[in-house]
Amino acid sequence: MDEDEKAALTEAIRNALRMIIDPEIGRNIVDLGLIYEIAVEEGGIARIAMTTTTRGCPASDYLKDAVSNCVWYVPGVEYAEVRLTYEPPWTPEMMAVEG
Amino acid sequence: MQGATLSRWTMSYFALACLMLVAGQGLMLAGYGYPAVAVSAPETLVLVHILAIGWLSLLMAGALLQFVPVLIARPLVGGRFAAPALLLIVAGLGALVGGFVALSGAIDLPLALLPLGGGLLLAGFVLLAAVLAATLLAARPLPLPARFVAVGLSALVGAALVGFAFTLALSGTSDNLLLVRLVADGVDLHAALGLGGWLSVTALGVSYRLLAMFLLAPEAERPTSRIVWWAASLAIGLVAACIPVVLLAASGVTALFAAAFLLTLAAVLLYGGDVVHLYRSRKRKQAELNIRATFAAFGALLLSVALLNLPGVRAGEGLAAVVYLFVFGWLTGLGLAQLYKIVAFLTWLEAYGPVLGRAPVPRVQDLVDEGRGRVLFWFYYGAVAAATLALFAEASGVFRAAVLVQLAATLGLIGELIRARRLCIVPKALRAPVGMVRPHLFLPTFVSRR
Repeated sequence: MDEDEKAALTEAIRNALRMIIDPEIGRNIVDLGLIYEIAVEEGGIARIAMTTTTRGCPASDYLKDAVSNCVWYVPGVEYAEVRLTYEPPWTPEMMAVEG
Repeated sequence: MQGATLSRWTMSYFALACLMLVAGQGLMLAGYGYPAVAVSAPETLVLVHILAIGWLSLLMAGALLQFVPVLIARPLVGGRFAAPALLLIVAGLGALVGGFVALSGAIDLPLALLPLGGGLLLAGFVLLAAVLAATLLAARPLPLPARFVAVGLSALVGAALVGFAFTLALSGTSDNLLLVRLVADGVDLHAALGLGGWLSVTALGVSYRLLAMFLLAPEAERPTSRIVWWAASLAIGLVAACIPVVLLAASGVTALFAAAFLLTLAAVLLYGGDVVHLYRSRKRKQAELNIRATFAAFGALLLSVALLNLPGVRAGEGLAAVVYLFVFGWLTGLGLAQLYKIVAFLTWLEAYGPVLGRAPVPRVQDLVDEGRGRVLFWFYYGAVAAATLALFAEASGVFRAAVLVQLAATLGLIGELIRARRLCIVPKALRAPVGMVRPHLFLPTFVSRR
C-alpha cells in the first residue's frame, strides 16, 4: 500500500464519515471538527481519533459506534480502531463553518 | 465509557411530574386552596406540595439523574436506586396529601398519614441525594455547575428534614416545644430551602452547562459565576442558620432572611450577566425555542427576587402573588422549556442512537414542531403574568380564568412532548429506519426488551 493509496483511503473514510450527523447540531461530524485524526496504515488498518461536542454527552457511545461501523464498511479497510478523546477538548471554533 | 448513558427512569420521573403539574393546576382551576382559603390552610398545603414535590422536585430529580453524569463526565453511581427513590417519593407525597386532606376535615383519614408521608419523602429524597452525592464525590474537584448541584442537594435534605419535623407536630405525634416553634415560625425557611436552595440553585448550576451546550458557547468558568455560587451558597447558609434561631425562639430571623434575599438578588443579577455573556458568545446563529422560552423564566426569576427584597412583600403584602410568579414563571417556565428540549433529545438517543451511522437519521430538532411550541409558550407565560396580577389585585375570578389558559397551554405543551416521544413530527422518510427502536411513552425501554 503506497502513500497515494493510503491518502485515497483516508479521503474515502473522511467522506464516508460525512453521513454521520451530530444529532444536536444536525451537521456532519467531519465538518463539525469532531474527527481529530484518520490514520491509515499498511494492510488497510484505519485508526480514528474523535471527540464529541460535550464531554460526558449521552450520545458519545452512539457516535463512537457509528464511526466504527461506518469505517469498517469503507472498501479497502481491513481493520478499524476508534478512539474517543477529549484532548484537546472540542470548541465551536473547530467547526468548518458557522452552524 | 467516558461518561453518561441514558438514565433509565428519567422519563418516568418526567411523566409523573407532568401529571402532578396538571393535577395542581386543575385543583387551582376548581378553586381548591388559595386564594379561596388562607395560604396556611391544609387545602393550600395540598396544592403547594403537589406542585413543589410532585411536579418540580420529580422533574428536577429526573433531570439530575440524567445530567449530573454529563456535568462531571462520569457515570451515575447507584443508578439502580432511581426507581426505589421514585416510589418512595410518590408514596410519600400520596400519604402527605392524604394527611393534609385529613387535616382539612374534608375526608376522615388518619392524621398519622402526615408523619408517614414525611418519613417516606425524607427517605426518598435522601436516597436520591445519596445517589447523586456519591456520583459527585467520585469526580472531585467538582466543576462549578456540579458545585451548585451539591449545594442544592444539601438544601433538599434540609427541606425534607424540616418538613418531616412539621408532620410530627401537625399530626400531634409529638408535642415537643421545639417542633411547635418550628411549625409556628419555620414555614418560610422550609419554603426557602425547597424552592430556593433545592430547586433554584440546582437549576442555575445545571443551566450554566446546558446553555453553553445548546448555544455552542465557550464553557469557561467566569469569576462572576463563582461569585454567584458563593452568594447563593451563603444565602442558603443564612436560611439554614434560621433553623436554630427559630428553635431557640431567639430574634434575628427577619435580619437573616433579609440578608439572604439581598445575596440572592446579587446572585441573580450576576447570573443574568453570565447568561447574556453566554448568549452573545454563542456560535449557534439561531437559539432554539427551549432557550428563548427560558429567557422569560429568567425574567420572572429576576422580578420575583427583586420583589421579595421589598420588606412589605416579605411581610405578606402580595407575597402569594410573588411566590406564584416564582413557582410558575421561573421554576415551571424553566422546567417546561427545558423538558421541551430534553424529551426530544432523550427520545432521539433511544430511537435513533442505535442506527446512527447505518442509516440517515433525523436531527433532534426534527422531533419537535417549534411553531406550535412557540404559541403555547406565549399563552403559558401570558397566563402566568395575568394570574400573578390577578392575585395582586385579589381578583379570584380573573385568577381562575388565567389558570384555565395556563392549564390549557400546559396540556398543549405536554401534548407536544407526547408527539415527540411518538416520533409523530419526524419526516416520514427518516422516521423509521431499519433497526430503529421505538421508545415507550414513559417506561424504560428495557422493561419490554428482555
